[in-house]
Amino acid sequence: MAAILLQTADWLFVANNWGLLLGGTAVTIALTVSSILLGFVVGFPAGAIEVYGSDRARRLVEQVGVVLRGTPLLVIIMILYFGLSISSSAFVTATIALGLRSAAYQSQIFRGALQSVDDGQLEAARAVAMSRFEAIRHVVVPQALRRSVPGFQNEFTIVLKDTSIAIVIGIGELLTTGQNLYEGGQSTAALEIFLAVSLVYFVLTFATNRSLDRLSDYYAVPEGTT
Amino acid sequence: MTQPLLSIDDLHKSYGSEEVLEGVGLEMEQGDVTVLIGPSGSGKSTLLRCVNRLTEINSGRIALDGQDVTGTDTDVNELRKQVGMVFQDFNLFAHLTALENVTLGPKKVLGMDAADAEEAGRTHLEQVGLLEQADSYPAELSGGQKQRVGIARALAMDPELLLFDEPTSALDPELVGEVVEVMRDLAAEGITMLVVSHEMDFARSAASDIVFLDDGEIVEHGPPEQLFQNPTAERTEQFLSRLHAHEETA
Repeated sequence: MAAILLQTADWLFVANNWGLLLGGTAVTIALTVSSILLGFVVGFPAGAIEVYGSDRARRLVEQVGVVLRGTPLLVIIMILYFGLSISSSAFVTATIALGLRSAAYQSQIFRGALQSVDDGQLEAARAVAMSRFEAIRHVVVPQALRRSVPGFQNEFTIVLKDTSIAIVIGIGELLTTGQNLYEGGQSTAALEIFLAVSLVYFVLTFATNRSLDRLSDYYAVPEGTT
Repeated sequence: MTQPLLSIDDLHKSYGSEEVLEGVGLEMEQGDVTVLIGPSGSGKSTLLRCVNRLTEINSGRIALDGQDVTGTDTDVNELRKQVGMVFQDFNLFAHLTALENVTLGPKKVLGMDAADAEEAGRTHLEQVGLLEQADSYPAELSGGQKQRVGIARALAMDPELLLFDEPTSALDPELVGEVVEVMRDLAAEGITMLVVSHEMDFARSAASDIVFLDDGEIVEHGPPEQLFQNPTAERTEQFLSRLHAHEETA
């Protein structure tokens, strides 16, 4: 069946429009990077507040996180773009939606990693006269960041793939480009187009995960008792 | 009369309704090596931790060099520059090499530049016999080596007083000796040390004073030869005979 559906002519169509797909890929990468960065910039402090913050700050962060994690990304995007119209730029809106949702998840990655560092580490840092902030910054955080890498890899993969949801507000990212090719060009090539699109997503996630593996090996420290 | 380096007066500490320290008093002169002994739960570690305020007291007075330690306006970080601590579980910074463990405090807290801190750090590692392990991570070191790095880390801050919280009790028996040896060297150099330990070897050979703590009170206090050979209190005698029995079977 697949052999019948996969036509040489349709593959040629995909190949001829490869430039357009690459343009969409570039938008996907840009959207992923900006969303992950926003997620980190908001999510890391949020995770730290959940561990070290005052009761009130902690409760606030937890509640916002629960709401964000409990709302479908598609709904968040629609609320921000059509409901609140926070920006006339679809790209900015998608970045904020993806970034905040990612922050809610990244905060949990960092919270867990910070909590996993033994209390004795903080105590020993305080005993050499570091302030609480210095102790957290120089001793706990470097260890927690290393332990965050596996969770962060997951999150990166999810955000990358979820940028495709931005299709609903008309951003010319990878999936939108594929959709346009199929609707405005050669409708028989649907399977070939979307297979090509999937392949690009796969290559991107695979490559980033491998790179993050390398990074984590490079910064690895021997594990064991201290 | 010279002012004592450390003076503790009528110290009380409770955890909830349980009183751990019930009016403890203690004085140390510069160069003293005071060893706290006593059954587990007697409050030895709590007493030690009150001195650098890892634990807050309920009432009483602690003064270091005449300066109030426990006041609400006391800068704890200034205090801790003067008081080093060596932990039972080492608590070396896991992501840093032995040398980096030793230099982190001087660099971040004392504001030493990296080259000076490293040079001083190497000297301190050499002092504990670990210069060759400078670039090893904690997980690559034996327990005895870790504890010696812990000692070097505390020394690097050039404190007036060093606290040792059961420094050898997490070690395999064959590794105790190397740590005790380093501690004995420090004692001989005149470093003021307050030590919670049941290492009788160290207590006999290096201590200037032994303090026997039981049930949150100081039962007996004296030079090692007196306290070990002619304890005046019955509780001390009982504790020491149990300790001897244990040492002989060990």
